[in-house]
Amino acid sequence: MSTTVEQPPAAEAPMEPERHGPVAWLTTTDHKKIGIMYCVTAFAFFLVGGALADMIRTELAEPGRQVVSTQTYNTLFTIHGTVMIFLFVAPFGAGLANYLIPLQIGAPDMAFPRLNALSYWFFVGGGALVLLSSFASAGGGAAMGWTAYTPLSEARMSPGVGPDLWILGIALVAIATLLTGVNILTTVFLLRAPGMTMWRLPIFTWNMVVTALLGLVAFPPAVAAFALLLVDRRLGGHAFDPLGGGDPVIYQHLFWFLGHPEVYILILPVFGVVTEIIPVFSRKPLFGYAGFVLATLAIGALSTGVWAHHMFTTGAVDNPFFSAMTLLIAVPTGVKFFNWIGSMWQGKIRMAVPMLFAVGFMANFLIGGVTGVMLASPPIDFQVADSYFLVAHFHYTMMGGAVFGIFAAIYFWHPKMTGRMLSERLGRLVFALLFVGFNLTFWPQFVVGMRGMPRRIVDYATGLGFDTPNLVSTIGAGVLTLGVLVFLFDVWHARRHPVLAGDDPWGGYSLEWATTSPPPERNFAALPKIRSERPAFDLHHPDVKP
Amino acid sequence: MSRRGGRILGAGALGLATSACSSSFGMPRGGSEQGQEIFRLWQIFTFAGIAVAAIVYGLIGWSLIRYRRRKTDAPDALGRQFHANVPLEVVYTAIPVVIVVALFAVSFRGEERVGDLAADPAVTLHAEAFAWGWRFTYGGSGATVVSDPSGEDVDGPTIELPRGGTTRVILTSNDVIHAFWVPGFLFKRDAIPGRTTSFDITPTDTASFRGVCAEFCGLNHAYMTFTINVVEPDVFDAWVASQPSLGPEAP
Amino acid sequence: MRTASRLLWVLSGFAFALGTLYWFLTYETTGTVLLWMLALMPLIVATWIWRRGLVSAQLTEDDPEADPGAHPGQVIGSFPLDSAWPIFAVLGVITAGASLVYGLILLPPGLALLAYAIYGLMRESRQ
Repeated sequence: MSTTVEQPPAAEAPMEPERHGPVAWLTTTDHKKIGIMYCVTAFAFFLVGGALADMIRTELAEPGRQVVSTQTYNTLFTIHGTVMIFLFVAPFGAGLANYLIPLQIGAPDMAFPRLNALSYWFFVGGGALVLLSSFASAGGGAAMGWTAYTPLSEARMSPGVGPDLWILGIALVAIATLLTGVNILTTVFLLRAPGMTMWRLPIFTWNMVVTALLGLVAFPPAVAAFALLLVDRRLGGHAFDPLGGGDPVIYQHLFWFLGHPEVYILILPVFGVVTEIIPVFSRKPLFGYAGFVLATLAIGALSTGVWAHHMFTTGAVDNPFFSAMTLLIAVPTGVKFFNWIGSMWQGKIRMAVPMLFAVGFMANFLIGGVTGVMLASPPIDFQVADSYFLVAHFHYTMMGGAVFGIFAAIYFWHPKMTGRMLSERLGRLVFALLFVGFNLTFWPQFVVGMRGMPRRIVDYATGLGFDTPNLVSTIGAGVLTLGVLVFLFDVWHARRHPVLAGDDPWGGYSLEWATTSPPPERNFAALPKIRSERPAFDLHHPDVKP
Repeated sequence: MSRRGGRILGAGALGLATSACSSSFGMPRGGSEQGQEIFRLWQIFTFAGIAVAAIVYGLIGWSLIRYRRRKTDAPDALGRQFHANVPLEVVYTAIPVVIVVALFAVSFRGEERVGDLAADPAVTLHAEAFAWGWRFTYGGSGATVVSDPSGEDVDGPTIELPRGGTTRVILTSNDVIHAFWVPGFLFKRDAIPGRTTSFDITPTDTASFRGVCAEFCGLNHAYMTFTINVVEPDVFDAWVASQPSLGPEAP
Repeated sequence: MRTASRLLWVLSGFAFALGTLYWFLTYETTGTVLLWMLALMPLIVATWIWRRGLVSAQLTEDDPEADPGAHPGQVIGSFPLDSAWPIFAVLGVITAGASLVYGLILLPPGLALLAYAIYGLMRESRQ
């Protein structure tokens, strides 16, 4: 029934016969299966969120309200944001972490396998509740924005069970994140293979360590905020209701104390993914390993001190403090960019699909980052906060950044997870459609934001310069959708007409490339010697000094 | 780099800088003193952003082209195997720190100027946001303009402000959080129930400015618009005198 | 566990210092409390590691010259291959949580299912 952590398992150790069928997936505690389940479920939520986005863009294509009612529209963007942030990008990162960390550190599984399964099912349960909240009661679907500001989210202005179910759903997802955070830290601290010192960890694993720490410290205040909101809504509380002596601004402090680290929780795994991919496809060592680690730690630490830059326009917080902290956090992010360039410099760059997406990530995220520096200036914020400029900024980082990184990860690790390659040709087409579609969708949103289009509006007046950019943006969304459909076809095609990948199709560096594709049940039949941060490369290139 | 290449690059940079000084990069130039201050900041940050982005894109593009694997390379050809260059890394950490410190200094001074409250504003305007409309009351005269309840084809209220004079806006909300945003002034402030907040607007152009609610406030958030007409002071005085008054200094 | 321990102390110290700086710059209560509370979590773990004498514990993985198979580690647990209890635990939590929305009648069965799942997990650990 179980194996003890005593020695690297020999290939002939007696194992339970592997179960198959749905029961196996429902009861598994194997980190590889759970990792794949996380990624597949998260991607399914991506499709849901994308469909919601397409509906939003269809409504906004032209001035005048044509497609949905105002109430429905408000629910659409609420659930779109919630799904994309809490049910897609974050869990996909957790899925990658669950799959890769034990492999990358040379361990047979995560430290707490059943806790791992518990995390996954909390995520699924929470996600189901969030989806339910969108239509749970007529006129009462959650429609207060994914930020759920009070007093709008209180019972008087948002009646019905929708918001309550939404709160419960997010709370369950929060629990999942906390459990996964504990699991990741324990695993990395205590289950590394001999010779895998902390300073030889793959950067992806380092990034997940910081992500786990951030999740552990950032989620509890938000859960407290949601609990208080639930008390306000259902049990007669007035925590955030000024008429009862409460303060809506405190909700914002509690929410954004999670909210800002949350976006780093979303992006740090992807930074890790890109940092794995770029050196491999440049056929060079990572440039500035220590710098990457220190930059990641700096980003994680600083991200806890910037939350009220989301509150610059309230007049209720000390703007200069948060402005300074936010500008500071641009520095380690910039260092990462230069280190990525250093990792390409004087390399032999192969533009395979994972590298295409990694470069696309850099191109898009740079715009997100530069506009983030603009937003760090409160006076500039006075114009562009809560406008489509802001919407464009965070989509450039979250979608142009995180989602492109996710596609990079899929193309890079699909061979390892399934033993089959995805199509190089189709992958290029997917990249082209996504890159063009993404920029067509979101660049015009900078334009209308500056011209004065606020966010979260179902409709806009004609003659303000919003019409054409919105139409272009909607066309871009169509191109994006097409790209996703081609990707789904690619995945289906790889199942139907498999091209075997072998252990190491890319010439990878970290330990997962030193075992079979997919890996055996306890990951390694035999572990190689670990003398650097790229043990698989060292194994295959004994002539190159580690 | 060749001397000629250097001159071309220098001329290009100078041209970019010159056009940057006059380009708005898509932002309104600001119909108020505070807005124009914000616009200047916008230009500085945008110019800095474009410069940084150009350098980074240039380096990425250069790497992709110059260091691409060529067909003549062996299948497993490796790049140059170096791990770090600490002096370089320190330099490209330090330079961004200097840049952000400079940006912070500029932004801090700008915010002080924008948020400065005049000792004796010419006009006091109480703005109360509610779901879903606006109630504007002028201090002193008590002249009041109230929205019809907002809706899909309903026009928002129109108020007037004097050009050249400073209007003190005192903003609050009746119910949920709204925001008072006039894109032409490059300025918004949240209207929070239970709190009042004050800011000054000193319009410089006679024109009509659109105002919107910028904080999602529920069903008719999209329709909570208003219009500010900036007129000459004597026109303004006449207009205020002609508005219905709900008593002196209502709120 | 030197690196891990150092990481936790630094994070805790940073949050405490930042919270203190924030207080004296802004006198804003909520943010200060949040930052000081943030300092607590890594402090708890770091203190535990320190008190257990684990900071300088010689882990095989921290030996840069160790080979696979060198000094097998101590037994710290077992890896179950599968378990049905996690999914039952989640169903229990969902039912109990839904009682807040759909009526308190859901609370007893939800809590009962959760308790049973926890019991099952505990029994499974003892195998």
